[in-house]
Amino acid sequence: MSTKTKRSFEGVATVVDTDVHLTESQADLMPYLEGPFAELIENAGEKYGGFWGNWYPAAGYFSPMDTGRIEIDSAGDPHELRDWEVEVLGVDRAVLNPTQNLGLGYVHHDELSAALAHAYNEYLLDTYLDDVSEFYGSAVVSPQKPYAAAEEIDDRADESKIVSIMFPTSGLHPPAGHSMYDPIYDAIERSGLPVCMHNGVSGLMASFPLQWRGFSRFMEAHAFVNPAQHMVNVASIITHGVPERFPDLDFVIMEAGLGWIPYYIHRLDEEYSAARHDAPELTQPPSAYFEDQFYFTSQPIEGTGDPNYVRNVIDAFGGQEKLMFSSDYPHFDFDHSDALLDIVRGGFEDGTVENVFSRTADRVFGF
Amino acid sequence: MPEPTGDHHYAADLDELEGTDRLLTEVNGLEVAVFRVEDDLYAVSNYCVHQGGPACEGRVSGILTVDDEGELIYDRNGEIVSCPWHGWEFDIRTGEHLANPRYRLPTFDVLVHDGEIYIEW
Ligand code: FES
Repeated sequence: MSTKTKRSFEGVATVVDTDVHLTESQADLMPYLEGPFAELIENAGEKYGGFWGNWYPAAGYFSPMDTGRIEIDSAGDPHELRDWEVEVLGVDRAVLNPTQNLGLGYVHHDELSAALAHAYNEYLLDTYLDDVSEFYGSAVVSPQKPYAAAEEIDDRADESKIVSIMFPTSGLHPPAGHSMYDPIYDAIERSGLPVCMHNGVSGLMASFPLQWRGFSRFMEAHAFVNPAQHMVNVASIITHGVPERFPDLDFVIMEAGLGWIPYYIHRLDEEYSAARHDAPELTQPPSAYFEDQFYFTSQPIEGTGDPNYVRNVIDAFGGQEKLMFSSDYPHFDFDHSDALLDIVRGGFEDGTVENVFSRTADRVFGF
Repeated sequence: MPEPTGDHHYAADLDELEGTDRLLTEVNGLEVAVFRVEDDLYAVSNYCVHQGGPACEGRVSGILTVDDEGELIYDRNGEIVSCPWHGWEFDIRTGEHLANPRYRLPTFDVLVHDGEIYIEW
């Protein structure tokens, strides 16, 4: 497939892509599975098409990928993925996140979920991070086992190429403000890494089962679920005072577009004015926590055909300091870096271009 | 048969299209695809108006749509090309994006003369 020449990132020292995905498979992860499960499943093989689909239940939609119209051929190979990022998107550093393991939060078997998190982190380091200098990664944890997750975080915190912790909020239950997750937030805060939150369409089934049953098409499910899932978790985190209890923790909210961000910050402030008694742990309005501790990744930018809309939205949530470029490659709705570059260049100062493509990520991920 | 003029740029020999549904060429520094749909030729810019992907290198197909009774049907096979980056569907004859005609791949008139394909610009 031919590619286009990358646009010049003049004045941006180091371009960071804050969300790139592995496409890990059952075959990739099984060699890294440890503990009782490694022995337990030894002879299960690929019978009946493999067991992976049972472990991470799928919502079962017919997605754009299934039509064969989208041809992404550099997924799955670390060096091809690196070439795409560097040559096509003009990226110097990429933060790798999982695909299948974004769904760890709705794996039914709690101990297996924790074992899979560990296996994924080993695979990530071994196959991608140790080999490719441009790649950094998020270690995943299992929300079902907060103490095992805290141990996993403690183990990974000193790895120089682990720059964040992925808390799998997709299909998460109970929502992310629940005190059962405090050991996880505590360990992340201690590690000095940010906590990343990233949803996926199959989480619909776990978090919104009635909507899952009612939606028969991928389009309606996907349009709804990514921001809706964040709205659930962010409302819960704020109402239950997580940022107040963990004031040194940075939250990175990923992949839900932009317009909902200023809307939701204002909405939570209004709610708090009337129902402060529901959030007695808070010592300031919700917007102040967003100001201090929350960051957002850019993809999928809605409305690129209307750059002024996008610029107004960025401005409305202080994106000059809060927004970080993400491509989401190789997922079907990835954004080319040029799409955001044109928008930001066309309406903000050079310092904002640097912030969005480099400086904010440098600070948050601590490269 | 009209003769090529100064506005016509040589793209390829006609027999290069033998046994294939398209060929890619470069005219004036622009990548252009020449498609054969039934017996006619269409020239379409290969630069995707969404985010710059190679729009004409993706799958040539039909579309899923509904008939007069509202039944799902697969129609217009061979008339649609999809950009391989995000799957946006374009009408090969007009360059229009099916989901929103506000987006359109530029198209060019094609002239065949003496076994050679020319693109008018
Ligand atoms: S670049 Fe062609 S569909 Fe996005």
